[in-house]
Amino acid sequence: MMKRSNTMIMLTVLLVSLLAACGQREPADQLEAIKQKGVIQVGTSADYPPFESVDSAGNLVGFDVDLMNEVARRMGVTVDWVDMPFDSLIAAVQEGKLDMAISAFNYSDERAQRIDFTEAYYTSEDSFMVLESFAGQINQPEEIANYLVGVQTGTTQDEWLTGLIDEGILPEANLSRYDRVDQAALDLRAGRIEVLMSDYVPAQELMKTMGGMKIVYVGVLSSGPMNMVVPKGSATLTAALNDVIRQLESEGFIDQLAIQHMGE
Amino acid sequence: LTFIQYIASGTATTIAVTLIALPLGLVLGVLTALLHVYGGKLPARLVYIYSTMMRGVPPIVLLFILYFVMSGAINLSPFLAGSLSLGIISSAYQLEIFRGALQSVSGGQMMAARAIGMSRIKAIRHIVLPQALRLAIPGWSNEAAIVVKDSSLVYALGVTEILRRAQLLSASTQQPFLAYGTAAVIYFLLVFITNRLLDLLERRTRIPANP
Repeated sequence: MMKRSNTMIMLTVLLVSLLAACGQREPADQLEAIKQKGVIQVGTSADYPPFESVDSAGNLVGFDVDLMNEVARRMGVTVDWVDMPFDSLIAAVQEGKLDMAISAFNYSDERAQRIDFTEAYYTSEDSFMVLESFAGQINQPEEIANYLVGVQTGTTQDEWLTGLIDEGILPEANLSRYDRVDQAALDLRAGRIEVLMSDYVPAQELMKTMGGMKIVYVGVLSSGPMNMVVPKGSATLTAALNDVIRQLESEGFIDQLAIQHMGE
Repeated sequence: LTFIQYIASGTATTIAVTLIALPLGLVLGVLTALLHVYGGKLPARLVYIYSTMMRGVPPIVLLFILYFVMSGAINLSPFLAGSLSLGIISSAYQLEIFRGALQSVSGGQMMAARAIGMSRIKAIRHIVLPQALRLAIPGWSNEAAIVVKDSSLVYALGVTEILRRAQLLSASTQQPFLAYGTAAVIYFLLVFITNRLLDLLERRTRIPANP
């Protein structure tokens, strides 16, 4: 899910970067520091199955989680997982509170100004989910504007829908934004929204666990390649991660994970 | 059952955050309240600005600012930074509680204390403050309940307490009622116990002559 931080946090980050500008951290080689500690601190927002979530025993599970654990193992370090709301992740990486983050991040230019992306490890699509009883029709993606739409705040889907609002296609009052995609799905079931726009894979997962819903549109509108997120200018870390991502890709490890977690 | 256990295991974090934030707010709150009431014009003015700013900004925004600013200077864990920030925010509210309490101790008390030869500071410490603190308990128990519940805000910094745990399970299991219901019961119990303890304190410390 490509996400855009919400206004409040953007404002805060702006303020903070102003304040932090005077006391800049020394840009020591991040990769060396991580290897010396033997631990890499990785942020994720564990509310997005099947990419990252907790099982009922509280264990962190999911595609991103397995992938990152394997990547770290090959780099000779262990992962110290930190769960944070999605909105906080980019700010935390930007401020060096985390070594990196993996949370189904899609590339966006806006984000790229604040943090660096690794190479893609997965490609995601957008989907429109409706109740099974949905009687309307959506042939062109823009036709979503004819319905009450729900989306998760700060995602690239949110960005895309906000674009529709700016172009005057979608009335602002028809868009509901949610902290998490599962809240949006609950409101879809309750009939407060008619269409839920989200990443395709989590939508499938929601369909499975909640039932009574169907997907009426799949395509790349706002999402696309998924990347890990690292602080700006951490070239050695990015290079090391890219190496392992390429390795895992050519070994078929990532495809296997996708099958395991997403049934693809 | 592991479901409920997982959420409940956030209780220790919630209590720990509260136990740092509330006393910190208490100390800062009482000190600033004294400054405001007895400190003279300039300190009163400064305290007024402090209180207005702290209460005027949403706690979550302050939390972010304090977290990133504080840990720019000293490297604090999210837990500690979050707790301290909540304490500072709470101090502004507690300041107003104690200011109200100090001002409702009648001025005659101070005059009488001064008349029998007590210094100003002595009079505040032995005559006014003990009465004011008693008067502050009901208002303070309000603030205590709020801090218990506001402690959930530290989840934004990556500290997984009760509410965040409930959110995570609600996202993965699609059982929001069970998840949030569990969180609600725990919070209720925490606030209930806190308030009962404060009621007890209020009764214990009541001055017999006063109704």
